[in-house]
This record gives sequence, C-alpha cells and structure tokens, in this order.
Amino acid sequence: MRRPGKARAGVAESLRLLAQGRDLRGRATVPRSAQEWEEEPERGRFPTAWARTPVAGAVRYGLQRGLLKPTAWSVCAPDVRGLERLEGLRGPVVFVANHASHLDTPLILGSLPPRFARRIAVGAAADYFFDTPWRAVLTALAINGFPVERKGSGRLRSLAPQLVAERWSLLLFPEGTRSEDGWMKRVRAGSAHLCCGFGIPAVPIAVRGSYAAMPRGRGWPVPGRPRVSVRYGDPLYPEAGENAWDFNSRLSTAVARLWNEEDIGWYAALREPRDAAVARPAGPPAAGSWRRSWEAGRPLPKSRP
Amino acid sequence: MGRPGFVLEVDERTPALLVNEGEAARLERFPLGTRVIYPPDSLPGIRDVGGAIRQALLHPHGEDPLPALLRPGMRLTIVFDDISLPLPQMRAPDMRQRIIEQVLEMAAAAGVDDVELLAANALHRRMTAAELKRTVGDRVFRSFFPGHLNNHDAEDRANLTEVGTTRHGEVVEINRRAAESDLIVYVNITLTGMSGGAKSVAVGLASYRSLRHHHNVHTLRHSRSFNDPPQSAMHHSYDRMAAVLAGHVRVFTVESTVNGDSYPPQVGFMNKREWEWSPADQASYLAFRKLNAMAPAKMRRQMWQRSHAPYGITGVHAGAPAEVHPHTLANVHRQQLTEIDGQSDIGVWGLPFICPYNVNSIMNPILVMSLGLGYFFNLYRNKPIVRQGGVGIFYHPMPEEFHPVHHPSYIDFYESVLSRTKDPALIEEKYEEQFATDPWYTHLYRTSHAYHGVHPLYMWYWGAHALQHLGDVIFVGAERGTASRLGFRTASTLGDALEMARETVGSSPSITYHHSPPLALADVR
Repeated sequence: MRRPGKARAGVAESLRLLAQGRDLRGRATVPRSAQEWEEEPERGRFPTAWARTPVAGAVRYGLQRGLLKPTAWSVCAPDVRGLERLEGLRGPVVFVANHASHLDTPLILGSLPPRFARRIAVGAAADYFFDTPWRAVLTALAINGFPVERKGSGRLRSLAPQLVAERWSLLLFPEGTRSEDGWMKRVRAGSAHLCCGFGIPAVPIAVRGSYAAMPRGRGWPVPGRPRVSVRYGDPLYPEAGENAWDFNSRLSTAVARLWNEEDIGWYAALREPRDAAVARPAGPPAAGSWRRSWEAGRPLPKSRP
Repeated sequence: MGRPGFVLEVDERTPALLVNEGEAARLERFPLGTRVIYPPDSLPGIRDVGGAIRQALLHPHGEDPLPALLRPGMRLTIVFDDISLPLPQMRAPDMRQRIIEQVLEMAAAAGVDDVELLAANALHRRMTAAELKRTVGDRVFRSFFPGHLNNHDAEDRANLTEVGTTRHGEVVEINRRAAESDLIVYVNITLTGMSGGAKSVAVGLASYRSLRHHHNVHTLRHSRSFNDPPQSAMHHSYDRMAAVLAGHVRVFTVESTVNGDSYPPQVGFMNKREWEWSPADQASYLAFRKLNAMAPAKMRRQMWQRSHAPYGITGVHAGAPAEVHPHTLANVHRQQLTEIDGQSDIGVWGLPFICPYNVNSIMNPILVMSLGLGYFFNLYRNKPIVRQGGVGIFYHPMPEEFHPVHHPSYIDFYESVLSRTKDPALIEEKYEEQFATDPWYTHLYRTSHAYHGVHPLYMWYWGAHALQHLGDVIFVGAERGTASRLGFRTASTLGDALEMARETVGSSPSITYHHSPPLALADVR
C-alpha cells in the first residue's frame, strides 16, 4: 500500500523546507502582509546583573581587547578621531551613536579609552539579543548588553536609569535599530531624557562606512579591509532648565555634524547652516530605495579627507 | 482579544506553508504573490461550560425556559447530532453529553418518564454502541441504551410519519416518535455555517422521500454557498420544511459552537501560523512527518482518527430554532470569517484526513471529491475564491480504498457508475432511484453500519456546484488511476499543477490558497 507523501517524507527534505525563510535559530521573518497582525511575545526580563560583577567585567575586558578588537581591526580599517575630546571627562556618560551595522558596537567599544571601556553597558534590542538564553548570555557577557524595548511596548521597565545611578556609562543607539538603507533615521529622545534627568553629559559619535562594510543581512564584513571611521564629538551637557526635546535636538545636530565631517571636513560641517536635527543625514530624498542604499553602500575612500 | 482573520500575500520572507494531504501534511513553497486566507485566531473557550449550558436552558431565545416545558406524563425526545460533527471528533467529554445530562436533570426534576434519545443520522451509517456511549457519556448510555437510546432509521416505514408538504410540494417526513412527541430537544454542535438551525430536525430525522427535495443537483448548484444559508437553495428548502414541522411539533434547540483548536497540543503547529512556529513546533513537525511516514497504514489511520480535538466552546444558545440560529452563525463567523478582495484564477486547498462520513472509517475517493469540491470549495460567502472557469488544485493522495462495511454502495458507484459518466445531473436521472431503493443497501443501512445506498450519489452532487464552476480540477499527489476515474487530472508537485493550470487560466494566474487548519470561511468581496 502506498504511504502518503513517502517520497517527500525524508527528514532532509523537511529540514530544507523548514530552513527556508528561517534563520539559524529557527525564527522566520514575519511576511510583510502579516506584520500588522504580529503579536509581541510575552517576555520577562533576562537577568543581566551577573554580567556587571567584577569577575564578569574582567572576562569581558579580556574578550574585548583580546578577541573582539583584534578581530574587528583585522577585518576592517578603523579610523578613530576625536578621542581627545574625552579628556578630563568622567562617567557616567551616555555615548550616543548612529547605527547601521553590527560592526558599530565592537568599533566603539574597541576605540574607547579603557576607563570608559571597563565600565560601559550597551543597550541591546530585547526582542533580538535577548530572545533566546544563549544569545542573551553572550550579549550580556561580551558587550555588557542590557535589554532595551525598542517598540515602545513598555513591557519592560528600562534598566538604563538604574545603571546610570550605579555609575555605569551607557552606549545607546537611539535610532532604535540598524539602518535598513545606511542613512540615519529619527533620533529618539530616550538618551536625552536620561541625560536631562541625571544631569550627565552625552557624547555624540558618528560611525561611517560600517554599512558599506557589513550591512544588514551580512554575517561578516566584505573582503578588502574596508575603511570605517569613528568620530567622537565634544561632550554635550544639559543646560539648566533645558528640556529633553531641546537637548535631543542639539544631540542630533552634533551627530549629524560628525557624520558630515567625513565628507566635507570639520570646519565645513561646522559652518553647515542647516539645523542638522532637521536635515539629518537622511540620504537622497525620495529617489527610490536603490539610490539610497547605493549611496550609503559606497565604500569610504581609503585615505582620510 | 485574538487577532482577526487576514489574507497573507506570499513574499520572499514567507516560509513554506503547511498543506494538509489526507493522512499527512507537508510544507509547500507557494509562488510570490499568492494570497493565503487565514482565519481569526482561535477564540478563547468558555470557562464554565456547565454554567453556560444552564444559563442557555433557563434563559432561551424565543421560548419558555426548559423546565417550564417539562411535565409528568409528557413524551420527550432528545435528538442529537450524529458522529459527523464536529470534525475531528471532540475530546471527551463531548459537548452533547454535557447538554443532554443537564436536560435530563431538568426532565428528572419535572418527573418526565417517557424519554427517548435519538441520533440524528438521517442516511448516515448507524453509530455503534461505543460511539453512542462516547457521544452521550457513560451515565446517559447506561440509563437509556439500548431500549431508549437509538439511531434514527430512515427506512423504517412503520416509524416514519409524513408531517405535511411545503408550498413547493416538498414532503416533510420524519421519525414518528419525534413527530409525535410533546417536545423535541435538539442538541447540536455547529462547526460550519451549513449545520444547525432548520437543518437539524428536518434533515437529521428525515427519510429519503423527504431528503431528495433538497439533496439534489439543482438545489446544490443553486446553493452559493451552502455555508451561507441566506444564499443557499438547500437551506431555503430546510426553512420551508422547518416551518411545516413547527406547526406539528414543538422543538427546543440547544446549539453550541467550537473554536479553532482542532488538533491536540502534540501537533500544535497545525493551529499556528507558520512564521510563528517555535523551534519546538518545528521539531514536532519533523517528528510528525517522520513518524507518520514510518507508521504502517493501519496504525497511521488510527493515530489520525484518535487525535481528538481540544475544542473550546465559544457559545451555547437555546430556544426556538429560528431565534437561536442567528446567534450560532454569529459565533461561527466570529471564529471563521475572513474577508478577501476578489476572486483568483486558481484556488488551492489542502484536504485533511477527515470528512463528515469517514469518522472511524476510510476516506474513499468519492468522499475526497465531496470534501474538496463540496465542503472546502463551498467555504465562502458571496463568491467562490476562484473565478468562473478557474482551476481548483487540491492536495490528497486519493488512494483507491473503501470501507466495505461503512461504504458498500460507494464501491458500486465508483466501479459501475463513474466508469460511465461523471455528470451529476445524468447520474441523478439514471442511477439515483436504483441506488436509493436497492434492497441490499437498505438492509445493510438498517442492520449493519452502512451508509444509505443513495449516499455516494449525494456526495457526488455535493461537488456539483464546483464541477460547474471550475474549468479544471487537479489533484496534487493523488493516485493517477483513481483521480482519472473521478474525472480529475493529477500532478506530482504544485509546480506541475500550476503549469497544467496555465493551459486553462493563462500564463500569469493569480493564486489563492485557502489555508487550513483551522477552518476559514472566505468572505469574497
């Protein structure tokens, strides 16, 4: 008697079909037409306090300086500028950077002076980095990541205020997610709220070239050791009576100017008349997505401008 | 609050989608742009089902509370849906048991002695004692079987009575005991829009003389669809018959509806949208595929037949049938209705292992046809999901297998009628009377557990509307000889089927996959 589906019942065939459209963790990307109906899974907070103990900190610093930084520096050519602007600065500080690639975090952590690198926590998307235990452990240990709800669901109370109160500096990517086309999205005001609330400085950072080196969807940088630049700006302090929205506007402008420095130099960027908080580096306007990605994916010139 | 039904448009992110194929299921990659109809999320079941039944019996729609209708010395007949509902079978305790027990509690309190229980099996096979016991529960079974708990016999002339005739000349003939009762309490489980309401008594307790007025090719071709009663000629006939019945016997109906939890947790992936499958769901799918393929045929069939659904109850309503049924339909729609814009050139359906007529039995090729071109094709409101002249693609292996006890007349129909013609109207004209009155089939229906002689013809009529509407029918993975006997083409893969379909609908057809499980009623705009 014929067995139904016998010919196709092989495990290999089933595995192949299951794997299509799913990542290595078995998760499928939600089809576009189903996104409206996506349900956010109920998620508890993954405990990360253990990753901030001295022992874990020592392991992490060893990992970062012994493995992460050498790897990142070997697969691309980082051009780090503006570290002198951090002289005399003491934590806690909120480092605010644009975000286009998984390379951004190791580049920033690897370029920070040790006094910051040893005591910094990184905001990481709760739904991506903390959805499975092994990934959460790795994120917490390797970069001192802590979960951040990026969809504004408010299910998890942010750990950031507690960390600042415990004198941890933070690295935050206030666009909420890696850029899909390499250009900057709106800078959310969460970091500014934190700075205004605690009266602590924010340091703007612009990372350029990381999108061209390793955009979304790539698991490893492109060959050829592409150049990437990491520019630190002057620390910004909330002024007396300044509200978070105004401070966020200054912060966005500072990041945008650092972004522009790569193309037109420091002085020209400074003289750029437009308010960069409004005219953020958003790429070619309404020209179709291919041009935006195309421009953003252009490798940085090998030499400094 | 569950999510509503929606129509997925397959894009490059969409993983392979689950497709039923009889006693198996597979993952299938659909072409980009294919629309896939998903029903609303399974609704939460009522927590206190017993309380909901009591509430329904004490606060009925358009009727007095049940205790007020019960009195000593009366003749009470409790009629219940047979084994054809729900599908798959419900995990024990069956909803019918829960309702009947409460009805009997009230009857006992009122001092009613003359109580009969009848399975409304019409021309279906008689339920076995074990099946009756599972349906009504041990306590009821022990108290009433065999003397007062029975199957309806549509061929027992001495126990049938002609109640009247509708204005369309339709004879209304039902079970004598029920017709002569002071009260019929009808206990129903509604799975789709076609069940319940006027159909319950008028069909479930009827004879062939009565059923032939609506179970015929003309009526079925004008039921568009039979899951949408206002647009169904078949239901219009039921309504006329129910009106005649209402003048003779009082019917107190209790209808319940179930949610979309049609498979047990071990195969929970069946009830989920594919991109939401967890690693555990994927592992369970792999294990299911492997075990299902390895299992001997008999064991595999038993595994499927014993996968009882952990349905939640979404509503219980009681009272006058005409007043109750709109509430029932609203609950069905809440669970199943999904809007979709426009028809497609090609419709795709994966057919499950079960249909109303192969519970604890075998799905023979004629039942496959009636399930696909009858039940699944008709899961629509307004318009079929496929345009006139479009192509229907169905998944089922369609083995040439028959249950010799349950489906004897099916074998003869398959061998001697379908080899000559597939035209439903011609079959009705030339062969119906012969099958309906054959004394051997009648004997088996009455004394064994066989479906009535005319039943395979009815199943063929069930697909008459689809046969008229579709330009071509292709079965994926079906046995070629069997499908050919039924007049259908076969393909080994979806790709081949689509290639074949292009001969009929052109080179760039639009495709809609009517996803199941769970069941979705497509509201085509």
